[in-house]
Amino acid sequence: MSAVLLIEDDDRIRMSLTMALEDEGYTAHAVATAEEGLAVQRERAADTVLIDLMLPGMDGYECIRRIRRTDDVPIVVVSARDDTHDIVAALEAGADDYVVKPVAVKELAARLRALRRRGRSAPPAGPVTSVLTFGDLEIRPEAGEIRRAGVPVSVTRTEFRLLCELADHPGLVLSRHQLLLRVWGHEFGDERVVDVHVGRLRHKIEADTAKPRHLVTVRGLGYKLQP
Amino acid sequence: MKLIGLRARVSAAFAIGALLLSACISFVSYESTRNTLFAERERTAVRATYYDAAVVNAGISGPYPDLIAVLRSLDTGADRYVLLYFDGRWHSRSADPAADTAVPVRLQEMTAAGEPGAQRIARNGEPALIVGIPLSRGAAFYEIVSLGELERTLQLLALVLTAVAIMVAAGGAALGWYVTRHALHPIAAVADAARGIAAGDLTTRLPAIEPDLAPLTVAFNDMADQLTRRLERDRRFAADVSHELRSPLQTLEAAASVIAKRRDNLDSRSAAAVTLLTAEVGRFQALVNDLLELSRSDQPAQRQAVDVAELARRVCRSRQLPEELVQLAPDVPTVWQVDRRRLEQALGNLIDNAVRYGGGPTAVRVGAGFVEVDDAGPGVAEADGAVIFDRFVRGPAANARGAGDGTGLGLAIVAEHAAAHGGTAIVTERPGGGARFRIDLPGCLP
Repeated sequence: MSAVLLIEDDDRIRMSLTMALEDEGYTAHAVATAEEGLAVQRERAADTVLIDLMLPGMDGYECIRRIRRTDDVPIVVVSARDDTHDIVAALEAGADDYVVKPVAVKELAARLRALRRRGRSAPPAGPVTSVLTFGDLEIRPEAGEIRRAGVPVSVTRTEFRLLCELADHPGLVLSRHQLLLRVWGHEFGDERVVDVHVGRLRHKIEADTAKPRHLVTVRGLGYKLQP
Repeated sequence: MKLIGLRARVSAAFAIGALLLSACISFVSYESTRNTLFAERERTAVRATYYDAAVVNAGISGPYPDLIAVLRSLDTGADRYVLLYFDGRWHSRSADPAADTAVPVRLQEMTAAGEPGAQRIARNGEPALIVGIPLSRGAAFYEIVSLGELERTLQLLALVLTAVAIMVAAGGAALGWYVTRHALHPIAAVADAARGIAAGDLTTRLPAIEPDLAPLTVAFNDMADQLTRRLERDRRFAADVSHELRSPLQTLEAAASVIAKRRDNLDSRSAAAVTLLTAEVGRFQALVNDLLELSRSDQPAQRQAVDVAELARRVCRSRQLPEELVQLAPDVPTVWQVDRRRLEQALGNLIDNAVRYGGGPTAVRVGAGFVEVDDAGPGVAEADGAVIFDRFVRGPAANARGAGDGTGLGLAIVAEHAAAHGGTAIVTERPGGGARFRIDLPGCLP
């Protein structure tokens, strides 16, 4: 049984989503403000956080940033706002996924399940500790570690899985759609999620994000990881 | 009745004004020329007559003068005719029985009284001047000078002046036409701007370059501002309404899913009601999403490189349709500069439309800068083709309002997405029956 923290200021949505998530097999802890949410997360460390952006007091973006300082928990934004600007801002603050209200409970549950998977989407059988090397970049999928020039790099779970997915196909182009399907489990979703995560990863693993060396964009096709 | 245009009226006024002015000037100059010429001619004639009279006077001073010889000795030229009254008889160079009648009685009386005189007469249908001078011994000498030549010169002058007046009038008309073209030029700019706004470019404004037309420019730009504000308000209203509906819809959706999970515990009536409720929540959701999409449709396309063939296959997959529906035109690059999200939605809506109303899609074609969706339905009547891209227009299949019924906004969104790319959405007949929906996306090919 996995625990979900729901931060939502609308009482009715909070109540109904809590019930629906419990029906899907989650234990849901629902709070109405970002401050409460931060306190609860520090205390109980839920497996996944669902958060609205428009909250009284501290807003959702700030709350996501604060959680991210200490926690790599998957964060899914559930918001009525669907401007590109809001979506990108929330993802850049550190959210792993973004759904627009109203979202079907089944879809939300599917996304939560996908985000909670760890490591590669298809891990090799048996206890192996492989090291994938791309120039000065070292990825240890089983250990959940990334090192750049020997220095560990801190990434979120979703960023890690995105990098592993690309690392499993060295030099091969993966389309945004393929990445969305394999990392986020979306059959048909918003590809901006991929773009923002690639951008976040570049900040962590590239020396010059304007001229990426490892994680490169192949125009019109997608992304690839190269030494 | 057809109204006479402003330019024609102004040109006519210019022409009439020019004609009046030039006619006046012509008339005055004609009259003064005529008087001057006549006075000059009269002076010359009188001088010549005095000279001739002196010669004749000398000739008739003898006891038996040869009158004919005296008269013939005068150098008169062709246009002068001389008459001598001597001893109660009329003499001229040739025998002229009507010679006496040529001289008016008043002039005869004047010369008889010893006074010289001159008078205008008509002779042989031509104007002429007769000058009479009394001689010694009761005689009188007359000279008749033809003014026909002068008259013909004046006639020619009148003709020339008339022609000039007409030409000046024509020049006035041309000037009026030219001037009004310039005066109407700003009006043409207004018309262009109005057309631009009607075509949907709400940023069109008139530059304030013509101070005399400032009220027009200001009024026009105010109108455009008002229109923009009003459209913006409508759009924001639609966006706000849809947006406000999202939160209650989220509650409905979550609550409905909680009840739906327990459908087995419900009696059949309640279960049926829950089924209806869930389906309607879904449709409500689609409607709100479509309305929001439309309210944002004026935003420019976010172009990026997109593999359109891959996108089309993906749209087919997402609708459980075979990827083989997607046909690629040979030699056409499939990576286009388009707004990925909007093209995907437009194509998806066309395919959904084909499924709902067209008996399913038979082909999804990716061509040079366009995508087409063919269906196996009855086609679209020409009258419907004009309105099918309007909002809340549904095909005949929608009358039944089945479970798969759309929002009535799908094709309107297609048209808006095409317009955001500077393109159009059209529907035509597919050769062999059915409809062919096409989105043209100009300038998206690399």
